Amino acid sequence: MSENTLAQAPVHLRQGSSIGQPLTRRDGVLKVTGGAVYAADNHPPGLLHAVLAVSTIARGRVAALDLAAARAHPGVVEVMTPGHKPALAQDPDEKAGPFAFRLDLLQDDRVRYANQSIAVVIAETIEAATEGAALLAPRYEVEPARMDLHDAESFFPAVVGAGTPAAEHHGDVDAGMAAAAVRVEATYDTSAQYHNAMEPHAIVAVWDGDKLRLDTPSQGMAMAQARIAGLFGIPPENIHIRSPFLGGGFGSKGMISGPQVLGIMAAKLVGRPVKLVLRREQMYGPVGHRAPTRQTLRLGADAGGALTAIGHHTKTASSSFDDFFEPASGASHSLYASPAIATSHEGVRLDTGTPLFMRAPGEATGSIALESAIDEMADACGMDPLTFRLKNYAEVEPISGKPFSSKALRQCYEQGAARFGWASRPLAPRMMRDAAGMLVGWGMGTATFPALMFQAKARATLRRDGTGLMEIGAHDMGQGAWTALAQIAADGLGLDIDQVEFRSGTSDLPDGGIAGGSAHTATAGMAVHGAGADVIARLAELATGDERSPLFGAGNAGVVARGGRLSRRDDEARGESYADILDRAGLAGIEGSGGSAANPVAQSAYAMHAHGAVFAEVKVDPDLGQIRVTRLVGAFAAGTIINPRMVRSQYYGGMIWGLSFALLEKAVTDRRSGRIMNADLGEYHVPVNADVPSVEAILVEERDAHVNALGIKGVGEIGITGTAGAIANAVWHATGRRVRQFPITLDRLID
Amino acid sequence: MASEQISFCLNGQVVVLPPTTSAASSLLDWLRGPAGLRGTKEGCAEGDCGACTVALEEPDGARVPINACLTLLGQMHGRAIRTVEGLRDAAGGPHPVARILAEHDGTQCGFCTPGIVMSAWAAVTGDGDPHEALAGNLCRCTGYRPIVAAMAAMPREVATPAPVPASTAACFHAPGQAFHLPRGLHALLSLRAAHPDAWLLAGGTDLGLRVSEHRERPPEVICLLAVPELQALHIDAHGIRIGAAVPYHRLLAALRGLDDPIAAPFARLLARLGSAQIRGLGTLGGNLGTASPIGDMLPPLVALGAEVTIASLCATRRMAVEAFLTGYRTNALAPDEVVTEVIIPRAGPGDVVAMEKLSRRHDQDITAVGLSAWLRVVEGRIRAARVALGGVGPRVLRATAAEHVLMGAPWSLETVRAAARMLDRDIAPLDDLRGSGAWRRAAAAGLLERVWWRATRPDVEPMEAL
Repeated sequence: MSENTLAQAPVHLRQGSSIGQPLTRRDGVLKVTGGAVYAADNHPPGLLHAVLAVSTIARGRVAALDLAAARAHPGVVEVMTPGHKPALAQDPDEKAGPFAFRLDLLQDDRVRYANQSIAVVIAETIEAATEGAALLAPRYEVEPARMDLHDAESFFPAVVGAGTPAAEHHGDVDAGMAAAAVRVEATYDTSAQYHNAMEPHAIVAVWDGDKLRLDTPSQGMAMAQARIAGLFGIPPENIHIRSPFLGGGFGSKGMISGPQVLGIMAAKLVGRPVKLVLRREQMYGPVGHRAPTRQTLRLGADAGGALTAIGHHTKTASSSFDDFFEPASGASHSLYASPAIATSHEGVRLDTGTPLFMRAPGEATGSIALESAIDEMADACGMDPLTFRLKNYAEVEPISGKPFSSKALRQCYEQGAARFGWASRPLAPRMMRDAAGMLVGWGMGTATFPALMFQAKARATLRRDGTGLMEIGAHDMGQGAWTALAQIAADGLGLDIDQVEFRSGTSDLPDGGIAGGSAHTATAGMAVHGAGADVIARLAELATGDERSPLFGAGNAGVVARGGRLSRRDDEARGESYADILDRAGLAGIEGSGGSAANPVAQSAYAMHAHGAVFAEVKVDPDLGQIRVTRLVGAFAAGTIINPRMVRSQYYGGMIWGLSFALLEKAVTDRRSGRIMNADLGEYHVPVNADVPSVEAILVEERDAHVNALGIKGVGEIGITGTAGAIANAVWHATGRRVRQFPITLDRLID
Repeated sequence: MASEQISFCLNGQVVVLPPTTSAASSLLDWLRGPAGLRGTKEGCAEGDCGACTVALEEPDGARVPINACLTLLGQMHGRAIRTVEGLRDAAGGPHPVARILAEHDGTQCGFCTPGIVMSAWAAVTGDGDPHEALAGNLCRCTGYRPIVAAMAAMPREVATPAPVPASTAACFHAPGQAFHLPRGLHALLSLRAAHPDAWLLAGGTDLGLRVSEHRERPPEVICLLAVPELQALHIDAHGIRIGAAVPYHRLLAALRGLDDPIAAPFARLLARLGSAQIRGLGTLGGNLGTASPIGDMLPPLVALGAEVTIASLCATRRMAVEAFLTGYRTNALAPDEVVTEVIIPRAGPGDVVAMEKLSRRHDQDITAVGLSAWLRVVEGRIRAARVALGGVGPRVLRATAAEHVLMGAPWSLETVRAAARMLDRDIAPLDDLRGSGAWRRAAAAGLLERVWWRATRPDVEPMEAL
C-alpha cells in the first residue's frame, strides 16, 4: 500500500480538522448522569461475591484458618485457600515476561507482606462473604518484618524501572566536584505512596467453558489477556475484557493484579459469576505503590554558576520477592547541562508488596530531589533560581549528547515566569509577608517527562452511508482517550467527528497498547491515524482506478480526503463523496488498518522529552507551621496538542499530584507489625478541594517533527515533576528552612 | 411489637421495602444492590471520599448531602432521597447541574463525579461557598478547580420538597435484628432501659462505619431520629438548646443567623467539621457519646461552659460537659441514660470567643490541635477566662495554668502571650501521625495567640480560610 498523502501533511494545520479543537469530553454526560458503567457496576445473573481475607502480618506463614467456621456461615458458598483452589497452568512466581510481576494467588502459606491475600471467601451476599472472611480468624507463625529502608542490607540492581540501566554516567563527576568553586551535597528522603485511584480494583468474572468474560479496569487489556491466558492455560482470544471506563489508574491498573486474578479463580472454583472488589485498605499492598527513596545529590558549580558535576544516587526498596526499583536518579539525565553526570541506584528488600509504576515513576521522585538541590545550588551561587537554570540550560541531552527532537523549555520558563510575576522575587528567603503576617515564598521547578511510544493497532472502516468507524482497544482512565482518539480518528478518516463511530475499551478490538508512560495518545493515536490513512488510501485506489469516477487517473498522491469527500489535490472542485465511491463499487464498506511503534531511527538520533516550568507561591504561618500553596503556574511544551481542554485538565491534575507529593502523601508503617497504619483515605491524605490553590496551566506551542508523524508527546505525568520541587523551594523561600524530607509537614517548620 | 416496612421517597417515587429488609444495612449497599441504582459509587466505605453522596430532600426545602455508605436504611424511613439517577431536566435530559459540570471539564475518570454532582445539586439551593460544599468529595484527577468553576456557573434553584410517606412505624424487624424508631422521649428511655447494649444511633457517622466498613450486623439498634425532644433546636436569651440528635447542618444554619459573639467562631469551626455530608448526619450528641480527645466540638463546649441534659426513666440530670467527659473515649453516661440536649450559654456582648482547629489537611481531617477560648473582658481587664484544648492529652482539657494568667490581667497581647507560655504546664501532647508533641506545644501556644488576633484584627483572615 502506498503512503497516503495525509500522513505527510501536518494534520493539525488542516482546515476543519478535529485535532487541536477544545472539544468537551465526549463521555462527560455519561459520567455526570451516573450512566458510565465501571467494573463493579456489573451484576450478571447468578452473581456471587468474593471477599479477600488478607494477612495482618508482613512476614511469616499462615499456621491455621478456621475453615469450618467460615464454611458454616449462612450464605458462604466456598472458601478458597492454598489447599483448595483451581489448578493454574503457570506458577504465579514465574517471571513469564518483563512486565509479569509475581502475584500472590494462594500458591502457599507464605506471607510476604501485610494485606497479602491468604484466602478468598465466596458467598451469596457481600455481607456473608465479609463475615466468612472474618470467621477465618487466621493464626500466624510470625517472622520479624523488614520495614526500614535504612536497616536492610543493600545491593546494586542491574536495572531499574521498566528495565533501564541502574547506573549511567558521562564525564568524571569526582573531577567536576574537585574543580567546583561551589558544592552542594544533600540527602533527600521521599515516602512510600499509594496510588489510591478513586475506584478500587474490581473484577466481575464469568466463565463459559474455557472462555472468560471479565469486567475489570485495565490500563493494558492485551497485556492482561496474555497474563491471564498464561495462568489459566487458555488462548488469549478466549478472554474478553470490558474496561470502558477506569475510575483512575495512575499505574496501579497497568498490570493485572493478584486480587483480580483471585476473582477469576474464585469464579472457576464455584462455576458461577463472581464479583470481587477491593476494600480501600486492601489497596495498600497487592496493587503496587511508589517506593520510598533516599537520594543523595552532589552538585558542583564554577564561580560563574555553571554546573561542573551532577551526581544523583538513589537508595530505594523493592519487595522481598520481586524487582521494581524506583528509577529516581534518571531525572538528572536530561535537565541540566553538565560536563559530568553520574547516576546510580541501590536497592534493599522489604516485606512489602512489590512497588510499581506510579504516575511519573522515577521522574516525580527524582525531580523533587534534583529541583531542590538545584535551588540550593542557585542560592549557594547567589543566583536567582531561574537565572541559574537558564545558565545551565541543556541545548543537547546532557547524558547522551543527542540533540532534542524539540525543546521549548526556554519559552516555558519565559511564559510561566511572566505570568507568575517571578521577576519581583527577592533573592533572599523570609523576605515576604502578607497582610496577616504569613510568610510568603516563591519557588520554581523544571518539569520533564520522556516522550515515549509503545505499540498499538487500529482498524478503520468507511461505510456506504458516508460514516466512519474506528476501532481500537484503547483505555480511558480519565485522561480523555474517548475524546482525543476520536478527534484523531475524525481527521484520519477525513470526516467530521460526528460522522465517526469510535469503539474502544474492550479487548476484542485491535490492541490499543498500554495507557501508561504518558504515551497512550501518541501510541494509540498514531495507530488510529495510520488506520485512517490506510482506509482512505484503499478508497482512493478504488476511485482513481475507476473511469466513472471524477478522480479517475488522479493517482493516489494527488487526492485529499476531507469532509467525507475525496478530491483532486490540484483541483479540489473535482471529487466525490465516500458514499458515492462505495455505492458505485457495490461495497457496504471498506476497511483499513494501522499500527504504530517507535521509530528506531529517530529514537537513536534524538532525545525526546516534554518539558515545563512550574512556579509556586506558598504561605507559611510562622506560629503554627501551617503551609498553604496559594498559587501554581505551570507552562508546558509537549508537542502537538490534540485537545487543549483535556491537556489542561491533565496538567492541573498532575500539578495537584505534585502538591500532594510535596506536602501530603505518606504511608506510615508500623515497624513491629509491618502494617500500614494509615491505610485509608481519612489518614492517607490526598488533597481536598480547599488544599488546592489557584492553578494555571499554560500550553506552550511546540512542533516536533521526530517523535511521531503527528508530533504528539505525552502530558499525563509531567505535571507532577517540577511542581513538587517548586513547592519545596517556595517553602524554603518563605521560611529560610530547607526541609529535605517529603512530604514537608508542619512540625518540620516549627521547633 | 409488630414489624413494619421501611418506606421512603426515592427520586420522587415512594418505595416500600420488603418486610425482612435489614434496617441496619447501608443505604449504599441497598442502592447498588436491590435497587439497581449503581450510579452512586463506593470509593472507601467510610465517609472519606464522597463518591457515594446522595441528597436528602427535607420538608423545609433543604437539600442535605449525605454519605450513603454511612447511612442505614432505617434512618431513611419517612424521608426523601435523591440519587444521581434522579437528576434530570424537564425534558428528561441531564440536569443543568450535571450538564454544566460536564461542560466545564469537571470530570476526568468520572468515578467521584456522581457524588460531586449530588453535592453541587444540594448546594445550588443556597448561595454558600462552593469550597464548603465540595469539602467532602475527593477527586484524584481534576485538581478541583474546574469543578469549582462549574459550580460558580450553576444557576440557583428553589427546591421543591419531595413527597414523603407518612408513617408511625416504631420498629423494623429482620432476622436476628430489631431496629427501633421510638417516637418520643419516654419510648426512647424505656427502650434504653430494656436494651442497654443496643446501638444508640443518631447520625451514624461513627456507627455507620461499623456496618459499612466492618459489615457488622447489630442485633439491636435504637434510632434517635424520630424523637421530637431530641430534634429540638431552641435559642433564647439564656442559651442555645440543641437536641442531642440535631444534625450539625441545622446547627450551622442556626448559628449563621445568630447575633452573638459565639456565632461566627462556632460556625467557622463547624464548617470545618468533617464535610457537608458528615454534617448532614452527624450530631453533637454523637460527638459527646464518642468522647474522643480530638472530637472537634468538645473544646468549644468545654470553653463555653456548656451543659448536657441526661435522662433515664428514673431521673433527669444536668451536668457540665467538662465533667461529662471522664477520660479517653469515656463519659459519665450510665447504661440506661441518654443525652437529650446540650445547652450552650449565651455570651455577653463584649466577650471574646475563639474556636480554632489545626489539621494537616484543610477539610475532611480530624483535629491535630484544637483550642477554644471564652474570655469576659470588662473595661480592658479579663474578668473570666475558659480555655479548652483537644488533641493534647487523653481527653479534652481545660488550660488552668493559662487561665490563671489571663484572669484579672489586662486584655493585651502581652497577657495572651504570657498565658500561651503557660500552656506548657497544662498539656501533655504525644507524637503521632498528625504531628510531634513538640510541634503540638508550639501550635497550641500559637493558637492561643490567634485568639488575640481574631479579636483585634477581624479584618485579617488567618490562613485556613482560603
